[in-house]
Amino acid sequence: MTVIEDPARSALRSYVRPSTTPAKLRLLLVGLVVLCLAWGGVAAWIVNQRASGANDVASTSETLSLDGQKIYRALSDADATADSTFLSGGLAPINGPPRYQTDIAQAAAHLESATAAAGHSAAAANLATLSAGLPVYTGEVQTARADYRLGLPLGAAYLREASALMRGKLLPAARNISAQANVQLAGASGRATGLPLALVLLVAAVIVGFALYRAQRWLYQRTRRRLNPGLVVASVAGVISVLWLVIALGVARADLLQAGAHGSTPVAALAQADTAALQARADESLTLIDAQGDDNFQQDFVAVQHRLGPGPGTLLTNAITAARGSPGAGPAAAAASAAATWYSVHREVRFLDDNGKHTQAILLVTRPGPGHSGTLFTRLDGSLTSAIAADQIVFRRHAVAGSDAFTGLEVGVIVLALIMAAGCARGLITRLAEYR
Amino acid sequence: MLLVLAAMTAWAVPGSAAVTAPSAHRLAAPAAAHQATPACDPTASSLRPTGPPQVTPGSFMAKIRARGYLIAGVSQSTYPFGFFNPLDGSTEGFDIDMVHAIAKAIFGNPNKIEFKAISDDQRIPEVQSGGVDIVAHTMTILCKRLRYVDFSSVYFDAGAQVLVLKNSRAKSLADLGGKKVCATAGSDSIAHIKAAPSHPIPVVVTNFTDCLVLLQQGDVAAISTDNAILAGLATQDPWTEIVGPVFTSEPYGLAISKQHPDFVRFVNAVLQQMRTDGQWAADYRHWVGTPVPAPPRAQYKA
Repeated sequence: MTVIEDPARSALRSYVRPSTTPAKLRLLLVGLVVLCLAWGGVAAWIVNQRASGANDVASTSETLSLDGQKIYRALSDADATADSTFLSGGLAPINGPPRYQTDIAQAAAHLESATAAAGHSAAAANLATLSAGLPVYTGEVQTARADYRLGLPLGAAYLREASALMRGKLLPAARNISAQANVQLAGASGRATGLPLALVLLVAAVIVGFALYRAQRWLYQRTRRRLNPGLVVASVAGVISVLWLVIALGVARADLLQAGAHGSTPVAALAQADTAALQARADESLTLIDAQGDDNFQQDFVAVQHRLGPGPGTLLTNAITAARGSPGAGPAAAAASAAATWYSVHREVRFLDDNGKHTQAILLVTRPGPGHSGTLFTRLDGSLTSAIAADQIVFRRHAVAGSDAFTGLEVGVIVLALIMAAGCARGLITRLAEYR
Repeated sequence: MLLVLAAMTAWAVPGSAAVTAPSAHRLAAPAAAHQATPACDPTASSLRPTGPPQVTPGSFMAKIRARGYLIAGVSQSTYPFGFFNPLDGSTEGFDIDMVHAIAKAIFGNPNKIEFKAISDDQRIPEVQSGGVDIVAHTMTILCKRLRYVDFSSVYFDAGAQVLVLKNSRAKSLADLGGKKVCATAGSDSIAHIKAAPSHPIPVVVTNFTDCLVLLQQGDVAAISTDNAILAGLATQDPWTEIVGPVFTSEPYGLAISKQHPDFVRFVNAVLQQMRTDGQWAADYRHWVGTPVPAPPRAQYKA
């Protein structure tokens, strides 16, 4: 700190070089007013940076990340629904097509809001891929359904092609959106909570405070008057603005860190786990419908299962760790045990299918019922979804509180800086007047 | 995407060998000369039945009966031979009816079957590994395949042709030089496309219906495979037609593991029964249509 005091002191001295007291007073007047205004400018700029970071955390990035996740969920479900409609045969199950339509409508809605939130961010390219690919996908599914209506096996080929487009291009794009949004979120959160700007603010406050103190001490020695009302007002305004800044920035930082630790971090980990679970579930259905003898989908299931866990370093275990201490912790733990049960039923499905009991395998996957694969997956997916929802509430509460802490601060700091400048001017002009 | 990848894989392995190698395995004599096996006649390579179909104790048929169902490797996308009927979720077709007849001979019930849908290139591995008891999957009896699996007697005579859109000017593979022509991985057809002197570009997919998707979307100029399969595709798209001469002979057989010669003889007995009692003709009329030819004559090596 002394390093900074010395140049400040010498700077003051060099300005106070003039020999006559009025000249010195005039210089002091100009110096203090400029310093107060500069302080107001710097403080307002820093507050603006932090507030916009906090605002991005609470609105843009989080919206985008959630939209990405919801687009993935809707598209993955649409694909699985379209596939299982064929798998079950007969006239499409009553809850089949409407569910597909709902999924596509939801995907389109989230795609629109994500596109609005994304602007020119990194996610824009992936959103463009989705916007261009979604009509192609639905077109191919429609062709498949038209062929299906006519009883043509060709429909299954169109469905496979649609599914390949979905899994090869659209779902990865949706996954990337969430990932990119999470990077954006981390950036915004860094801007809102980073320490370097807070240090700059502290240094500026010390400089201003020191200058005001020295000015009043000098005036006191020169004029033998205890207090200069103008400078006192300026000092009080300065103290208020520093206190306000410290409290607001501190509260916002605590809230935003809390929003990250117990909100967006577990949400991101849980969402990753849920995405993997949805992928594995689609693999499970597609292995049965595709039934080409190539076991690509089953291989993918095994790969995803290893990634999903539970187990050290897996997505589910990471999500549980991230959710520790948050309201999502309970459902996250339930998800892990549901996953293990689901895997064991999946093994049963594979055993049936591998031993020529294709029909029974299909029933175990598509029909609802206790101990059926669909039921257990729903438990896993439902646990993860409710964990995400719970931690999402935590995130939202803290992010909004963090963002709200900046309410009025920018204007307040500017007004207080103007009051400081006015106080300094008033106080010194009164002194100067005594020399006329 | 999958299809495009498959197509790219096909280009990445250009048929330099296939271009020079003759597509001779279709013709019995050159194929025999080409391979180490002494004399090989695909149409007379099976085992003679010992009488009417009978489940003898200790036979492979007895094992199947004890299990309670026959496991058959079939196609679910090759109309009208083996395909998934979306209306009732069942698997149907001419190949499938062959399997029903075998199940009926074993169990007295034609429906005691578990169908396992497999792709063309899975047919031999599935038979060899015992994953299926029998493959009924528009499978041509080839000398090179006889080295790995046994076949029943011929139950259908097909031959390769070309399917194009009705507005296409191409009339055969000769007109398709430099154009993309589609067939499935593991099928004999892809070798014929590679071997064609006009050098069409082979595009490899999983099922022949995938080929039709590509043809409809304008991604390939033609499909080349057995006329029986092409006719099934043409049924699904009236804007396509089969053109040109039949340029190969494709005798279909049911594939069975070499470990079960008793089952081969049993299946041949069933087929023989079907030829004589009119069941074969009835199935042909139902799936392929009229006129119904005489059933392929059964010839045996032993």
